Amino acid sequence: MGDQALLEKMSQAIIALDKDAAIEAVEAAISEGMSPLKAIEEGLQPGIKTVGERFETFECYLPELIGSAQAFTAAMDVLEPIIAQMSDNQKNNGTVVMGTVKGDIHKIGKDIVVLLLKTRGFNVIDLGENIPASEFLKAAQKHNANIIGLSALLNTTMPAQQEVINLFKEQGIRDDYAIMVGGAPISQKWADQIGADGYAKTAEEAVKLAFDLMNVKTA
Amino acid sequence: MSRVPFLDVIDRTFEGKYISQEDFEMNVFVPELRKVIEKYKIKFDPQVLIPDDDDLADRIFQAGLEFYQNVGTYCVDTERIISFSEKEILDALRTASNKVAFGEGRDLRWLKNRTPESETPPFCFLGAVGVAVSSDEIFVNLIQAFSECELTDTITMPSLTNINGRTVRPNSPFEVMAAIRSARLYKEGTARAGRPGIAAMNAIACASSDVAKIAGSHYLRPTDGWMIGSTAELKVETPRFNEIAYVRDIGGRILAETTPLLGGFCGGPEGVAVASVAYHLHGLLVLRGDCQLHCPLHLKFVCATAPPVLWALSVGAQAITRNSHSPIMISPFLAAGAMEEMCFLEAAAAVTAIVVSGSNLEAQVTYGGATTDLTGPLTPQFSAEVAHATAGMTRKDANDIVIKLVDQFKTSLGEAPRGKLYQEAYDMRTGRPLPETLKKYKQMKEKIGKMGIPFKV
Repeated sequence: MGDQALLEKMSQAIIALDKDAAIEAVEAAISEGMSPLKAIEEGLQPGIKTVGERFETFECYLPELIGSAQAFTAAMDVLEPIIAQMSDNQKNNGTVVMGTVKGDIHKIGKDIVVLLLKTRGFNVIDLGENIPASEFLKAAQKHNANIIGLSALLNTTMPAQQEVINLFKEQGIRDDYAIMVGGAPISQKWADQIGADGYAKTAEEAVKLAFDLMNVKTA
Repeated sequence: MSRVPFLDVIDRTFEGKYISQEDFEMNVFVPELRKVIEKYKIKFDPQVLIPDDDDLADRIFQAGLEFYQNVGTYCVDTERIISFSEKEILDALRTASNKVAFGEGRDLRWLKNRTPESETPPFCFLGAVGVAVSSDEIFVNLIQAFSECELTDTITMPSLTNINGRTVRPNSPFEVMAAIRSARLYKEGTARAGRPGIAAMNAIACASSDVAKIAGSHYLRPTDGWMIGSTAELKVETPRFNEIAYVRDIGGRILAETTPLLGGFCGGPEGVAVASVAYHLHGLLVLRGDCQLHCPLHLKFVCATAPPVLWALSVGAQAITRNSHSPIMISPFLAAGAMEEMCFLEAAAAVTAIVVSGSNLEAQVTYGGATTDLTGPLTPQFSAEVAHATAGMTRKDANDIVIKLVDQFKTSLGEAPRGKLYQEAYDMRTGRPLPETLKKYKQMKEKIGKMGIPFKV
C-alpha cells in the first residue's frame, strides 16, 4: 500500500472513532518505513481535525470528539516510543498549562479545548478542575509553559481567574506567559478587566487564540 | 413500598459499582443512551418542533426509564454508580406527590403537575435565575419588582457578586457572607412589595458550596425552595447530599435541578429528550426532589431556543408529564439579552413549547446568563404573560406559532445581541422601567400577539 493510502486509512480510522483500525494503520505505516512524524501530521491529525471541525458545526457531538481523541491517543501510543527512540519529536506549537479554576468543577468545555489544542500540535498539561492559583504557577514553571489557560463556568468562580493572574504578577513572572481565559460567563470585557492576554468564546476560537498568542510571544 | 430511603442512597454512593468517570461517560452513558434511542425508534423531526404524538412521548418515557435503570447516577467523589431496580424506580414515581406548597400566608402558592394541553395555568417561578448583580441596591430593586408582578408565584433570586466591594470568592467567608446577605436582602425586597410570604425558590443563588447555602438559610423558611443541582450528565457530588440532609431536617422543599446538554454526552435532540426522563427519575430518587427543574441547553449557543433543543424540551416534558405526576418546571435560557427583540421572540417560542407540553415555568435567563446586571423584571413578566396566554392551546396550534417565531431568530443564535443592563433599562431610584423600555415591551407584545399568542392582558 502506498503512503497516501496509508495516511488516508489513518485519517479515516480516527474519523470512524476506531481505535483498532487506527493502531493497525500506524503499525502498517511504520512497517512500510513511513516516518512517525509524517504519520502524525499527515495521517492522524487531519482525521482528528475533521472531527473537530464537524463538532464545531454540530455535525457530530462530544462523544465523537472524545472517541476520535481516544483513537488518536491509541495510535500515538504506538508511535511515541518510536519517536522517542529517534530522539525526534512531532512539531510542537507550544506548551499550554490548562485547568478549571478553584471552586469550579466543570470540565467539559475545558476538556474540549484541551483536545483541540492537542490535535493542533500543542503540548497540553491538563491540571484538571478546581485548581488553586498556586498549582497553575507551579505547573507553568515546571513545564516551561508558553500559555496558561484558565476556565471558569460560574459567575462565582470568575474571580479565581483574576487570582491566578494576580499571583503571577506578585511573583514577577506575569510577562513570562500568555494567559487566556474562557468559560460560559466570561467575556472580552472581563478578560480586559483582569489583565488576561486573550479570551475565546468557543473551543475553536481558543485554538486560534493560542496560535495568535504564540505568534506574539515569538515575534 | 415508598421511595428508597435517603440513607440507602448514601450507602450506594459507597457500595455501588466502582468505575472511573471517563468509563462511566463513554462506556456506560453514551452507548446505553444510543441503545434505547434505537430500540424505541426515537427520531427528531425538524419540521415539527412541538409534536402531538402521544405514542412518541410514551416511547421516550419508556426509553428514559430503561436507560436510567441501566445507567444510574454517578457519584463523582466516590467514583461509584448509585443504581436502582425497576421496582424502586416505579415505586418512586407512584409515591411522588403531585403538588407542593411554597410560601406563606396569602402568598402561599401550590406548584401542581400539569399535562400536555392542560388548561391549568402554569406555575410561574419568576426573576433573575441566579444572574449576577453588582450591588445590594439592584438586588433589592429586582426582588421588589419581581414580587410586585401579579403573575409571580415564587421568586428566583439573582446572585450577589460582591460584599462591600469585595469580590465574592467560592468557598470563602465572602461567599458565606454573600449568602447570608442575599437572604436578608430578599426579605427586604419582598417586604417593600407587601408580599413578605412569597417564596424564594432558588435558595441561595450565590452559594455554590453547601456551607454557604446552609449558612444563609436561617433567614429563609422551610417553605422557600431549596435548589439542589446535579452535574451533566447524570452525576452528583457529595456536598449536594450534605445539603439534602440539612433540608430534610428542616422540612424544606427540594427543587431538583438538572441540565442535559445538546451536543455533549447526550448527543443530539433525541438523547436530550430521553436523558430528561432519566434526570426526572434521578431527581426523585437521588436529589430527593419534591419537584424538578430542567434546563436543557445547547452546548454551543448556551440557550434552549435552538430548534433541536425546543423539540427535545417539548417531547421530554410531554413524556414526563404524561407518565409521572411529580410536578416539573423548565427554565428556557435565551440567546439574546434582555429587552432585545430577539429575546422576546425567543421567550415566546420557548415558553409556548414548555406550557403546551405540560410543564411549569422558570423565567428568565437571557444572553446565556453570562453578563452581570443583565436582568430586569419585564422579561420574566413577559414570559409569564405568554405562559398564561398559551395554557390550554393545542400542541398543533402551538407548533404553527413556534415555527413562525423560530424562523425570525434561528439564524442569529450564534451572534445574539447583548441587550440592556438593568441600569440601562430601569430607573435606579424608583426601580421602574424607563419610558423607552416600556415602549419596547409594548411594541413586542403587540407584534408577538399578532403572530398568534393570545395575550390576556
